[in-house]
Amino acid sequence: MLKQLPHRFALLLVVLMVGIVLAACNNDGDAEPADATEAKPEDVTKTEPAEEDATEEAGPKKGGTIVGAMYSAPTGMFNPIFYEEAYESNILDFTHEGLVTQNEKLEFVASLAEKWETNEDQTEITFFLREGVKWHDGEDFTAEDVVYTYQAMSDPDYEMAGGVRVNYVAPLLGYEAYQSGETDEFAGVVADGDYKVTFKFTEPNVSPLYYASFPIIPKHVFKDIAVKDITEAAESKEPGKVIGTGPFKFADMIEREQYILERNEDYWQGAPLLDSVVWKVIAQSVMIGLLEKGEIDFVASPGGIAPADHDIVADFGNINIIEQADFGYQLMGFKLNHRTTADVDSGAVTPENWIPNKKLSDPKVRQAIAHAVNRQGLVGTGHGEGLLHGRGQPINSPIAQQMWAYDESAATNYEYDVDKAGKLLDELGYKDVTGDGFREDPEGKEWILNLDYPTGNELRERSAPIIQSDLEKAGIKVNLRQPAEMSVYVPGLTNDNTDWDLYLIGWSLSSTDPDPSGLWATRAGYNFSRWNNPKSEELMQKAVKAPEAFDQDYRKQVYAEWQKLYSEDLPALLLYAQNSLWAYNDRIQGIKILPSTMYQDSHEWWIEE
Amino acid sequence: MYQYIIRRFLIFIPMLIALSIIVFGLAKAAPGDPFSGKILDPEVGMEVYEKQRAELGLDKPVPVQYVRWASKIAQGSFGESITYKGRSVESLIKERFLNTVYLGLFALFITLIVALPIGIYSARRPYSLIDYGTTTFGFFGLAVPNFFFGLVVIYLFSIKLGWFPAQGTISSTKLTGIAEFKDRIHHLVLPGLTLGLASTASYMRYMRSEVMDVLGSDFIRTAKAKGMSANNVLYKHTLRNAMIPIITLLGMELGPLLGGAIITEQVFNFPGIGTLFIGSVINRDYPVVMAITLLLGVAILVGNLLADIFYSVVDPRIRYD
Repeated sequence: MLKQLPHRFALLLVVLMVGIVLAACNNDGDAEPADATEAKPEDVTKTEPAEEDATEEAGPKKGGTIVGAMYSAPTGMFNPIFYEEAYESNILDFTHEGLVTQNEKLEFVASLAEKWETNEDQTEITFFLREGVKWHDGEDFTAEDVVYTYQAMSDPDYEMAGGVRVNYVAPLLGYEAYQSGETDEFAGVVADGDYKVTFKFTEPNVSPLYYASFPIIPKHVFKDIAVKDITEAAESKEPGKVIGTGPFKFADMIEREQYILERNEDYWQGAPLLDSVVWKVIAQSVMIGLLEKGEIDFVASPGGIAPADHDIVADFGNINIIEQADFGYQLMGFKLNHRTTADVDSGAVTPENWIPNKKLSDPKVRQAIAHAVNRQGLVGTGHGEGLLHGRGQPINSPIAQQMWAYDESAATNYEYDVDKAGKLLDELGYKDVTGDGFREDPEGKEWILNLDYPTGNELRERSAPIIQSDLEKAGIKVNLRQPAEMSVYVPGLTNDNTDWDLYLIGWSLSSTDPDPSGLWATRAGYNFSRWNNPKSEELMQKAVKAPEAFDQDYRKQVYAEWQKLYSEDLPALLLYAQNSLWAYNDRIQGIKILPSTMYQDSHEWWIEE
Repeated sequence: MYQYIIRRFLIFIPMLIALSIIVFGLAKAAPGDPFSGKILDPEVGMEVYEKQRAELGLDKPVPVQYVRWASKIAQGSFGESITYKGRSVESLIKERFLNTVYLGLFALFITLIVALPIGIYSARRPYSLIDYGTTTFGFFGLAVPNFFFGLVVIYLFSIKLGWFPAQGTISSTKLTGIAEFKDRIHHLVLPGLTLGLASTASYMRYMRSEVMDVLGSDFIRTAKAKGMSANNVLYKHTLRNAMIPIITLLGMELGPLLGGAIITEQVFNFPGIGTLFIGSVINRDYPVVMAITLLLGVAILVGNLLADIFYSVVDPRIRYD
């Protein structure tokens, strides 16, 4: 053995050298120009049908297993009413369904419910459920299951047990009374026979379908388990015991490594073609290699492919990449007001007590700052450029671009223009009087903006020093703070009786309703800018006020007005919306790409060998 | 001897209590709590988390929270994880404990079978080509970061050659008995190699210098002078004496071994205590952090005790009373 040692050493050297060379090869790949065949966001939908046509003669075949990759293991809570993370939803998307789902235009369409009707003032919506739908354990799906799901989420113990989805039940009739334990009668969702169920709201509701879209859980499985004990129950955690109505059953798992979903033979839309879908937890650093090798068939949200890896994956040849805008954005917020120490201690959000942040309180100053940030530079225009390698775009409106309410023309686009920024600041009296290269405020005092940012999103982290240098080019002195991990950063952002001025944060928006008040209403906890604009408040309320708001065009118009106001008053500068990059092996056929998911109708997926 | 061991065990109790107070205090002193790092979801209001904080008593003074936690321990329960809803801390640790032990032992095995023979050989022929070669090799292993080495072996042996699986600990839950064992070993090779080779250098150098020390001592010269064979000198007299510092190293290894190897676990998606621990620290999952810290505390104390006991086995001159 000892005699072999020099060989061993040599072998190791060879191994390492090869590794370094291979790594270098990959870099060469990086530098190659983008492949002409790559799918740009606009032509994804165009190329898809063509592919399907080409394979039509062969026809869908039954059988086979495909493997999906996720970068982090689910925490293991496979109960829709208690899960919180996208990793669980990767599995629940295949196993559970709601009354309605969304199509490619983000309209609500039938799923477990066949049709529905609202009463005149939209305080009630009645669903006629599909008959013959079976749970994975063979029991019938009925209206009682719908009632049970919403009743469990309204339970007095629901939040204490860790549930967070109260926004789906809060507008229901009698929610307060039931939730506080005043009454045992749950009046919000009422069954009438086995296949008819009515949702009743306290006030006229402009988007009742959104509230009715939550995944349904089976009453017969959970009825004997108290709501406070549901999270501990095997029925919420273990394969074979987690029961839904979806195309695949959660059949087996190697905890934190593999999650195996098997065909639901009795699926109401017909038995799925695939035998099984296996989710594997894969380190992000090796995912691409396994994707090329075919050990992984698809990867999507959260994470997908990193923008820098897009061209490498496109070059594999056997992988289709789906590129489309994400529902969300990154922003640089302006702390317009700070709260008082007393309010922070008591947790109160009382706009009357807010202390204006003089450094940023003039909207013109914020507009000047907006002109000084090179947002297109952050995004880049192609591979090797910017942080996103061109896989995204700067946006101007805080409503998801896919949404009907998004109106690009209403919002002001703050183009990158250092001279303009400088001119604006000069006019406002922010001039460099000390000659140190940085502007002082109109009173001649030093004007330093603190920029705080969190770790966790690498691209966002890297954008902070770039923004600093952009602003300093316009003579704005920025004090770039140390980044903090999210669990430290968010309390800092919330408890803002401090000297914070600029902050970075990202939001992931819902694909269901464009109402922005959860983030931008004056009293909203997430209104970290402490933006207090009565006009904005009025518009946001107007946009959801019955009966005018039943008309979508009316809402659209009000939101256009609000977007205009937002972009002028500028409580935050929207930096960019990143594109999501999903990929799948071209042996999988029948994948339907929707703006927010590619897992819909997975029963139609099949494998072409 | 037995009295000594019992006494040592009794000392553990106040040490662990002190440890728990310090760690609890430090964990609570860190800014943030289990809810402050949640993914910001515009659909979930902050009030929801406020209620959940209150339910867990996180708004109470730290000493009150400590007593609450400690009284649960006294009843034999580490409580429930906050991040992993509906799961007891025991079940979370149990789930990963074996993975960590397998990986740790396998890596240690690789370290020892590579490092000890090389160390001995180098000591017998110091400043030879092989001595220099293996030293370079050892320090190379020490210097190359684990994640890089891990990626290189995955790329070569898994993606290119396809000899070993790249990720995970087992391929299917349906395997049992010998097949399961073989499959687990198959999955262990790459992470074990990555982790094991990284620490060969220190063992190798220790072994080399200890053997050289002992070889230079008077009793070895005497043994050689009276005509004892070289092998006899090495195995009977030298190694036994040279093992003592290695045992100290091994004793200290028990804690880190059970603490897991965060980076290796992540690169190979080998779910162990290391990733659980770091995740719990990041998420401020206090019950899990406390339980793992105590577990590691016990492991380190026991490791040191075992090392002390083995001293007296290897070197009868060492006595405890």
